Amino acid sequence: MLIKKPIDQDAIRGLSQISLPFLFAMVLLAAPMVLLLAMSFWTQDFLTLDKSFTLNNIREAWFEPIYQVLMMRSLKISLIVTFVTILLAYPAAYYMSFVAPNRRKPLLVFLITIPFWTSYLMRIFLWKVILGYNGVINSTLIELGFIEKPLEFILYNQFAVVLTLSHAWLPFAVLPIFVAMERMNRSYLEAAQDLGDSAFQSFIRITLPLTMPGVVAATLIVFVPTIGDYVTPKLVGGPDGLMIANMIEMQFKKANNAPLGAALALSAMFLVATVALIFVWLNRRYLKSEGAA
Amino acid sequence: MRMKLRILATVCAAAMAPTLSSANELIVQDWSGYEDPGFIGAYIAAHGGPPKYSFFGEEEEAFQKLRSGFKVDVSHPCAQSVSKWREAGLIEPLDISRIARWDDVDVIKEKFKYDDGYYFLPTDWGSTALTYRTDLVDLDKMNSLQVFLDPEFEGRVSMQDSSDGAYALAYLATGVSDWSKATQEDFEKATAWLRKAHKNVLTYWTDGAQLNQLMTSGEVTVAWAWNETPTALKAEGIPVASNRDAVEGSSTWFCGYSNVVDGPNSEDLMYDFLNAWMEPESAAYIVSAWGYGHGNQTAMTALGKGALNNIGLGPVSTPVLAQLPMDTKLREQMIAEFEKIKAGF
Repeated sequence: MLIKKPIDQDAIRGLSQISLPFLFAMVLLAAPMVLLLAMSFWTQDFLTLDKSFTLNNIREAWFEPIYQVLMMRSLKISLIVTFVTILLAYPAAYYMSFVAPNRRKPLLVFLITIPFWTSYLMRIFLWKVILGYNGVINSTLIELGFIEKPLEFILYNQFAVVLTLSHAWLPFAVLPIFVAMERMNRSYLEAAQDLGDSAFQSFIRITLPLTMPGVVAATLIVFVPTIGDYVTPKLVGGPDGLMIANMIEMQFKKANNAPLGAALALSAMFLVATVALIFVWLNRRYLKSEGAA
Repeated sequence: MRMKLRILATVCAAAMAPTLSSANELIVQDWSGYEDPGFIGAYIAAHGGPPKYSFFGEEEEAFQKLRSGFKVDVSHPCAQSVSKWREAGLIEPLDISRIARWDDVDVIKEKFKYDDGYYFLPTDWGSTALTYRTDLVDLDKMNSLQVFLDPEFEGRVSMQDSSDGAYALAYLATGVSDWSKATQEDFEKATAWLRKAHKNVLTYWTDGAQLNQLMTSGEVTVAWAWNETPTALKAEGIPVASNRDAVEGSSTWFCGYSNVVDGPNSEDLMYDFLNAWMEPESAAYIVSAWGYGHGNQTAMTALGKGALNNIGLGPVSTPVLAQLPMDTKLREQMIAEFEKIKAGF
């Protein structure tokens, strides 16, 4: 005899609500990933794809010195950008959350988003104007008599890439840190003060650990996209500032080698995931040692 | 409810309107900037307006877009890409009986004749040559392409960010002026030369405007540049000159239109468009306004030597490497090596 299970209304509602986002994720995220993975095992000869299995692309992506160098350079640039951004964003967020009066907070958040009003390309070109050979910085320094000839190390190199990216991503780092600070229960600080902590001590022992989730979120938000950035190195990077994304683009387009491009893209993704996991793990350890988690 | 439906219907109709009205409008896939009405005056006069354009910044972008199914009537590849586009089945032969001035078209057209016909109508061309700031360099050195290796110009040099442009220079510098006959050995020699020259490069320019800025500021003093650069900069009063008579020579590039397969519109429109391009007025316009050469040979000759010399397209006595289609295998190698060189390997 068959026993009909009663239909659980909650389960149906739950499934119907999740199915659309799930479908979305499958079609727009999982399917392209699978395609990329499959492609990385194929070979391309000029215009035709040979779909027999090979590991050559993965091997090339990992062991050819040129790709190793580009991968490491992207990692380095991205880590420096993340570090600089967080270092600048934390005090800004701190000011917005702890120092500024409540009624001014919305205005400050609004001001932080102003750079987004300008297209990113426009901001890159403005950096070119500022850093250029006869740009704002060089002509000011020459006018003031500090230097005789224009400085040449400030544009078309990795420094310019780091500077441009840091400026672009700063707002993305400020906002999550600000939110974490806003969520913090301020009575802990009062309690610490009552018990005789100095301002610095209570920052180290209370504010920092409790805002760490915001810092981690900001780190990931900045680190993950910058490693794959492609337009910044292309425009301000010069020959030694090219990053892995430029190479991936080249493989898909000019070099007619989509499989190698796919293998490089997957390798970069793997690298990002590994480093991101290390961040998260370090954060866990830190929070545990602080007794906050 | 009824109100909502009415709004919905209106919005849908409004959204569809442009699609419907443009059903019979030629779609041209072109380089950004080529929407200049001066090129196709006759088409605009006949049809009351320009065709619809879809722009690209580099040929590979256009190629990938077409391969993934984007529908256009006509596209604007450059000479070296035509065979690739043909092999990918993206373009079909032109019906030359419908191009009124076919006999006037530059003889270069013969290089694009395959078994089933002509695939390419050359429309615009220019030269690439040694270009320099006359006030910032020693002019005596500017008669040989070997200046690109001169340590004096370290960090002062820019060349084209394209394997074709850069290799045209490298082949010339190593004594090859027809790359369609280049051997593997020639290729290796050119690559070695380019690798040495890379040490001097500040950045590789991707478009004329970028190079113009670099040369205006004096950051770049020696460049491998299109003839539009000295033409444009001299007009702005910047002391820039080019020397197409360098001992090793200079190079020329060609671009033009190809008939894309399965174009969504009537081919009549496409031939009107191509015929408009071939008008002598268009030739006079592109020469004077853009400093480019034109694919109508007869019209170019009619403009006279003086006009051509002014924009740096007159005849020269030194070797000229024409950037024509070459062996695809060798070209693939060029592309791969050029990327390695740019990354410092």
